[in-house]
Amino acid sequence: MKMRLFALITLLAAALSALADEAPIGYVKTLTGSATITTGSNKVAAQLGTPLFQGSQLKTGPKSSLGVTFKDDTVMSFGADTVLTVDEYLYAPSQGKLKLGSSLAKGSMNYVSGVIAKLQPDAVSVKTPTGTIGVRGTQFVVKVDDTAP
Amino acid sequence: MSGGHWRVVFAHVLLIGALAGCATPAPAPSPAPNHSYVTLLPSPDGSVGVVEVQGTRGTQRLTRAHDAALLDGSQAPAPVDAARFKRDFADAIAARPELPLHFMLYFETGGTQLTPESMELLPRIVDRAAHRRTVDLSVIGHSDTVGKTDLNDNLSLRRAQTVAEIIKGMGLKVDALVVESHGKRNLLVPTPDGTPEPRNRRVEVTIR
Repeated sequence: MKMRLFALITLLAAALSALADEAPIGYVKTLTGSATITTGSNKVAAQLGTPLFQGSQLKTGPKSSLGVTFKDDTVMSFGADTVLTVDEYLYAPSQGKLKLGSSLAKGSMNYVSGVIAKLQPDAVSVKTPTGTIGVRGTQFVVKVDDTAP
Repeated sequence: MSGGHWRVVFAHVLLIGALAGCATPAPAPSPAPNHSYVTLLPSPDGSVGVVEVQGTRGTQRLTRAHDAALLDGSQAPAPVDAARFKRDFADAIAARPELPLHFMLYFETGGTQLTPESMELLPRIVDRAAHRRTVDLSVIGHSDTVGKTDLNDNLSLRRAQTVAEIIKGMGLKVDALVVESHGKRNLLVPTPDGTPEPRNRRVEVTIR
């Protein structure tokens, strides 16, 4: 009986944490041209209000741009032909769980850091093919030219 | 628009920078071998933070606004060329969403009655939100440290729900609404347990 109860509680905990992972972490706020948001096997055309999730890959087309706001107030916007993946996003300040790890494979990005960078600067990074950017509470722009040698 | 062309342009810009370098303390780096770089900008509030680049060829630290560094970390930060900056980033910068707005609402002790000042603030919050093309709203309730944790969680949740209901009742259309309670675990003003503190009895509304 005890074992069964324990198993049930473990299952419930797993289900709850899966639910938590599925909560949106941000939304599309600006868009010109075309862009897509891919989360797992689910690919959608971006529109104003489209939700983002942990693991989402954001892709802008030629002559397009996209802007998103995360729930910790981090604001990112992208120029044309850009690919950015939100690898890891944790925002639970009262539990001290904070993380924003992203990867910029190509293109251009404007980044305004939010609460996560303020509370725990070492939890915020942007990976690129040649280097990793650490963010200490600020705004910056970054360009990755994947055609360069 | 071949990559090689821009490389030459960049090299010239850096050369001019080097020739004019007598007036400026920072020496210009040698020509860039690629086009992947980061540029530090002032934050929207005017302050300037720090960006660090850990690259395959070195580590750089940017502390001055409008300094740029290659992402491979191979060169010391140097002022970015204005024309190149505009060409590379004008569209990403133009796409930046409106920044989030924060409002604090306060309550009379022990219940869900807003203070008169906070009641007056609500129409302004709705008005600011209504001007956005998409609105996601978070309403987070907080309490002071008087009383037990579960009671405070419950009270600050009811406060947040009260605010959310009033805002919805004012006809604001939201794309997403999150209502949460942090109870006494996220104090605005740190106090010992059992301390009545009006500034901690609050609901924080964020418009994104």
